[in-house]
Amino acid sequence: MRHYRAVAAWQSWVVLNRHMTVYLRNWHTAALPPIFEPVILLLVFGVGLGSNIPAFDWQSQNVSYLAYLAPGILAYTVFMTAFFQALFAAYIRMHYQKTWDGQLTTQVRLEHVVWGEALWSATLGLAYAVIVMFVLVGFSITGWLDFHWSGVIVMLPLLFLAGVAFAALGLLFTAIVPTIDHMNIPFYLVIMPLGFASSTYFPLESDALLAQAWLVINPLHHLAEGIRLLLLSGVWSFHLLAAMMLFGLMILILLPVDLRLLRRRVLGER
Amino acid sequence: MNRKSASITSPLLDARGLVKSFASRRVVDGVDLQCRSGEILGMLGANGAGKTTTLRMCYGFLQPEAGEIHIDGIDRVSDPDRANRLIGVCTQDDTFDTDFTVRDNLLRFAHYFRPRPTDMENRVGQLLTRFDLARYADAKPDTLSGGYRRRLMIARALVHQPKVLFLDEPTTGLDPQARMSVWELVDGLRQEGLAIVLTTHYMDEAERLSDNLMVLKAGQVVSGGAPRAVLGDLVGEHVIVLDANIPQAGAVQQWLREEGIGEPTRILNTWQIALDGTGLAHFSAVFGELRFEVRPPNLDDLFLQLSDKDS
Repeated sequence: MRHYRAVAAWQSWVVLNRHMTVYLRNWHTAALPPIFEPVILLLVFGVGLGSNIPAFDWQSQNVSYLAYLAPGILAYTVFMTAFFQALFAAYIRMHYQKTWDGQLTTQVRLEHVVWGEALWSATLGLAYAVIVMFVLVGFSITGWLDFHWSGVIVMLPLLFLAGVAFAALGLLFTAIVPTIDHMNIPFYLVIMPLGFASSTYFPLESDALLAQAWLVINPLHHLAEGIRLLLLSGVWSFHLLAAMMLFGLMILILLPVDLRLLRRRVLGER
Repeated sequence: MNRKSASITSPLLDARGLVKSFASRRVVDGVDLQCRSGEILGMLGANGAGKTTTLRMCYGFLQPEAGEIHIDGIDRVSDPDRANRLIGVCTQDDTFDTDFTVRDNLLRFAHYFRPRPTDMENRVGQLLTRFDLARYADAKPDTLSGGYRRRLMIARALVHQPKVLFLDEPTTGLDPQARMSVWELVDGLRQEGLAIVLTTHYMDEAERLSDNLMVLKAGQVVSGGAPRAVLGDLVGEHVIVLDANIPQAGAVQQWLREEGIGEPTRILNTWQIALDGTGLAHFSAVFGELRFEVRPPNLDDLFLQLSDKDS
């Protein structure tokens, strides 16, 4: 329980505050990716490629590819932002900058450092998602999208939870990759398949048992589908509940494992 | 006993029976150490003797397998937050935050402590002046020279006004002038009443700064006390230095073996032989015709002796 209690400790939030302070100093350049990436993706794939894809049936609705893609990009943004921050940025702070070592000579302990990284990654993931939402609102104003925005506020805690869960996954690889060059292995063998085989960019429809099983356990699939149903139809679906439970399970399982592995890596403790 | 007199007489750092193993190898094996206000405890030992591991347990980076550590009477296992509030740590490696300037490193570090240090702007200004860092206040720490980086590390360890300061090889890699200025700063901190625990490879540093020395070997304390007493205990009262290439070298070696002294320590073309008063009298009687120099022992002799026994 000590591992989980550390989420509420002031030390974890001070660590988050440190990362946020550094990030916000470069806000003008840091804000470019979350604004331009979704705009480019929506224009290139949603509008450009989508103009060659006829509207198709999805969940008993006739939807354009742009309308299908937009909620997927929202889910994908949280996933990639939180994961990357917990993988590359945390690894650099841990290994190259020795930021963790400095923090560990204070009242901050390793569980606070790890929770601080996870909370910060989730915060950034959520912030990027909110920026993407504004982009989608812009697309709605132009008439390209017609979304139900009424449930969006309630969705924010779920996006934050998703960020913590994906950060916990990122920290797992931070704990085990031997060098920064080895990060290609989890990225291409785990993250890219997880990210694309998840109803984010295209409907993953297959009767194969393996594909069905994958979709049931893939939290990103449930997040993307849940957000899509909410934005396209205003429906609160079981996908949102499934996503919440899977993210909770990821955090419960992965955080203690991360801590154990990082204790070995950073402190040399068994 | 009132609080003030207790703080004078009882150690601010009191560690007993510390044990730590890595990969089933016991690195620290039953180490005790105490350090009082206004005192510097020097920890000496060859590489791998257990100095840094002992220090890391004391400042909470590592958890001991056995033993107790109290910081000003607070058990660091049951109450790590309060214990850590009272200590400052300067690690062997520079661990300042490269995303912040020198001034912001000090200010940012204060965030990691509760209760929060008060009047931080003033405190940081004083530290910048005292450690001669004011002109670099707005520079990034990785642009500083080695000596100024060490100053920043020590200043950062003091930002929350700790009672106990841990310095892990604070002058390693510095030029002699930078080392001496760090010594002066450390000596000043002692005079202000900090309890300071210092590990070092430099014998002159340990000898000049330490009120008490603790010599570690293979994770155990082999000697402790005032530097002169430790030297007498482990090395002897005198060291004779003679040419190792003299024709009588074999006879000297034979005599040392018969006296139970063992092999002499060789440095370049000389032998360094530690002897007590009686041993020196015997040596002079037997080898009176040889040219040799007699000098008082220093910590280099101790270090070499420990290394010789390890090998």
